[in-house]
Amino acid sequence: MDFQAIHDRLRAIQAPGLLGADEPRAPDPEDKKDKGRSGDPFVLVDPQRLGPFLEAARSDERLKLDLLADLTATDPAKDDENLWINVQLLSMELKHRLAIKCVLPKADPVMPSTVPVHRASQWAEREAAEMYGITFSGHPDPRNILLPDDWVGHPLRKDYVFPDEYHGISCK
Amino acid sequence: MLTLTLPMIGKLAITDVATTVAAAAPAAGTNQLRTFLTGVKPEFVPAWAVPITAVLLAVAVAMGIVSIVAAFGTLAERKVSGHIQCRNGPMRAGWHGILQPLADGVKLMLKEDMIPIGADKILFLLSPSLVLGSLLGAMAVFPLAPDFYFADIDLGIFAILALTSTTTIGVIMAGWSSNSKWSLYGAMREAAQVVAYEIPLGISLLVPLIVCGTFNLIEVSDQQAGWFGMGWYIFRSPMMIPAFVLFFIAILAETKRAPFDLPEAESELVAGFLTEYSGIRWSFFFMEEYAAMFLFSAVGAFFFFGGFESPLTWGARAIFAETGAPLSPGGTPIMTTLGGQIALTLAAALGICVKASFGLFLMMWIRWTLPRIRIDQVMTMGYKYLTPLSLLCVLVTGVHEALIWPSLLEPWWPDFLQP
Amino acid sequence: MAIQNQPDRHEPSYTEGEARSLDTGEREYMLDVRTQDMELNMGPQHPATHGVMRILIRADGELCTGAQPHLGYLHRCAEKIGESVEWLQYLPYTDRYDYLAAMNNNLGYSMAVEKVMGLEIPRRALMLRTICAELNRIGSHLIAYGTYGLDLGAFTPFLYAFREREWMMALFEKICGARLTYSYIRIGGVFNDAPPGWLEEVMRFCDVFDVKWQEYVDLLMNNHLFVGRTADVGVIPKEMAIDFGLSGPMVRGSGIDWDIRRDMPYELYGEICADGAFEVPLGTGAKGTLGDCWDRFYVRVMEMRESIKIVRWCLANIEPGPVLADIPKTLRVPPGEAYVAIENPRGELGHYVVSDGSKVAVRCRVRGPSFSNISVTEALLPGTLVADAVAIIGSTDIVVGETDR
Repeated sequence: MDFQAIHDRLRAIQAPGLLGADEPRAPDPEDKKDKGRSGDPFVLVDPQRLGPFLEAARSDERLKLDLLADLTATDPAKDDENLWINVQLLSMELKHRLAIKCVLPKADPVMPSTVPVHRASQWAEREAAEMYGITFSGHPDPRNILLPDDWVGHPLRKDYVFPDEYHGISCK
Repeated sequence: MLTLTLPMIGKLAITDVATTVAAAAPAAGTNQLRTFLTGVKPEFVPAWAVPITAVLLAVAVAMGIVSIVAAFGTLAERKVSGHIQCRNGPMRAGWHGILQPLADGVKLMLKEDMIPIGADKILFLLSPSLVLGSLLGAMAVFPLAPDFYFADIDLGIFAILALTSTTTIGVIMAGWSSNSKWSLYGAMREAAQVVAYEIPLGISLLVPLIVCGTFNLIEVSDQQAGWFGMGWYIFRSPMMIPAFVLFFIAILAETKRAPFDLPEAESELVAGFLTEYSGIRWSFFFMEEYAAMFLFSAVGAFFFFGGFESPLTWGARAIFAETGAPLSPGGTPIMTTLGGQIALTLAAALGICVKASFGLFLMMWIRWTLPRIRIDQVMTMGYKYLTPLSLLCVLVTGVHEALIWPSLLEPWWPDFLQP
Repeated sequence: MAIQNQPDRHEPSYTEGEARSLDTGEREYMLDVRTQDMELNMGPQHPATHGVMRILIRADGELCTGAQPHLGYLHRCAEKIGESVEWLQYLPYTDRYDYLAAMNNNLGYSMAVEKVMGLEIPRRALMLRTICAELNRIGSHLIAYGTYGLDLGAFTPFLYAFREREWMMALFEKICGARLTYSYIRIGGVFNDAPPGWLEEVMRFCDVFDVKWQEYVDLLMNNHLFVGRTADVGVIPKEMAIDFGLSGPMVRGSGIDWDIRRDMPYELYGEICADGAFEVPLGTGAKGTLGDCWDRFYVRVMEMRESIKIVRWCLANIEPGPVLADIPKTLRVPPGEAYVAIENPRGELGHYVVSDGSKVAVRCRVRGPSFSNISVTEALLPGTLVADAVAIIGSTDIVVGETDR
């Protein structure tokens, strides 16, 4: 199934939290500042209902998006008010993919964990949590995974300030 | 075998290298070394110094043999593994790395001898000596040639099995005292494994023991002198080959060689009981391993492959033995001339060394070919397969010796083949 | 540090009340037997963890009752660096997460950036990319083959595997000058054309490898002791494989017929597949249960031969031509985002790149297959023996550089 068909199907089954779709487009010839958008299409989903959405995408007979290939976050810009949660779903049986983006406000980055739906998101959420300071409520094991337990700050945030030293080791 | 060793634990735990050998000293008094020393003793040397000198010399010789076996065992291991793995092995120190053991030895002696924090210091320091000491004790009853031994005792093979199985206690002490979980795992595995494999080891040795009827290694060897030095027990009865296979598997497990190297499994337990050892203490364990391999191979050679006997010894006897010379208990003529004694000793020593070295090579070959097996598979194999099979071998051999062999003794072969 | 979320199994089996009802001697004995599980710290320096990873194993004697992997000892901030350096400058960093399959990492990153740029790659470059990626896959599987033998105590197959890998690395040295971190496949094509005679030598390598491959099968794969150690150990059922997001040989070992090269073809793989030049080996449960360690190992060994077939196809079809698209020295990638997944030797290597039109990436996410693949050990290890734990970790074939990035 291509992206359009998947999106139509998601709308047909009224997947919870589905907000819309974003597809690449050519630059607008009228507007010189607009450079368009290239790359992959994705669907926009409400982060608070991501778990039920993944469940719906998995259980639907014609989608069977049962494998969570990746879950990560993105900080689009320093002055942006939002973080993105990017999820890549895959159906090994029907051989199609779906990219999902959730927009989460930086002011209150809390969303429910998707671990009950996909066990694969356990470690991925731990990484996103430590790197971006997102709180996945209900995560069974919310420890740091790559960073030390006592690390201060969230390194992949654009406003991250590099520490001068760590336990007496100079980081300059 | 363990029941045999248990009463000896208390004794051996407090003995050292010298005292272990000294325990065999009363028997050593009958040997030619003592006779020789008594003969050359100047007047001012008191009589009691002779046995002490004999013991010290015996310790030195045993130590030397163990060191040489271990040194060239490690070199052989590296060369054999190298050639199995499409490489050359050591090539730099001397011709084809022949001086490598020397370099290794110097390196090990100069290395820092570390004792981990929290280790049980006394046990930690004692266990390498105990491991090596019990093996040296076993060496004391191991004859190098019919007329060249430290102690010719009637329970020869019993003593060897008992003394070598006490190395386990040293290994367990090493594992426990190192204050490392990996060492402890290695020690526990060693204990479980050795207990399991002592049984088939002892029972499979019963098969040739039924045939030869003596524990004395020299007599065992003597009995196999027929057929131009090829009257080896391996050809004697149909159960000898399976018994040897069982014995060989059991000695692989006894000496902790792959595929039974679980106590020191380097990919699982880092280095098992050796993890915390360094320098010369570490090398003690290695000396023990190679000497034990050599010793067990030699025991296998004694009981299955003719011991000293080979066409060489037959030739030495054919050339040097005088007609009418007295016969040994095995029925071979005793050498009366010095030339005959030297020729027989050389032939016998060469025979046993070649046979034991071949056993050593087989063990290396197996080590560098096979993967390691798991602890439950080790236990299953020991208790479920090797032990019943070895008992079966004993049973069949008993029936064979009692009923079939006497009927075969009637000579059915032509006269000119009569040895 | 105690293992969390796994309650202590070894509460005494007798309560005080029950014990009191027994007669005196037995009661004292039962209250005395209160064993405690041992916490075994496997790593960060341990021969079986293939790098610097740490697995905290709780063991009851030889039996694992719990396991908790601790990652991060090799964390080198690859994603942060990706947001700090220019697009082309990031390429050498991609070599370093899965250092055993650097060509594949180069390929994944280049393809992700090319997708956002909408770049056309010359055909000869695609051919060279495919040859290098598949040769690197062979090299990586040879390491997997050798180190797995090493984990199980067989030292010799490791050196046999290194013999062929040495030749493979010499081939790469001839084409790009490096033996481990190649940076050969780059955005827009490949760094330079193959030197004269290189393709012929690759052909010779293929011929020799076909013969040597049989040696690997005889030496280890069908070895009785090896089968005894790996069959029925660490069984991953299909549902579990999907739930944990596994990929590559891990899912194929569980019998899931999935290979990105065939099912979502990229670059030339669509053509190669249409020609029927390679097939996807699957675990069959031939020696034990479907999805055990042996099946995963089997898939890797069989894949080496399939890679040789792909290389042969490329050698038969390669034609002269340019090897690098016309791109400026300082890349400006148009705004957009893309997630590109390729079949790395270890599974799905995904690059998620976001550009806002500047010289530097906004986000450069790497989805390493080892990261997902090792997560399954947490669930597989409890209930196995300590020796099996080594076999299971080895069968996941992780590269710690990639789990930690």
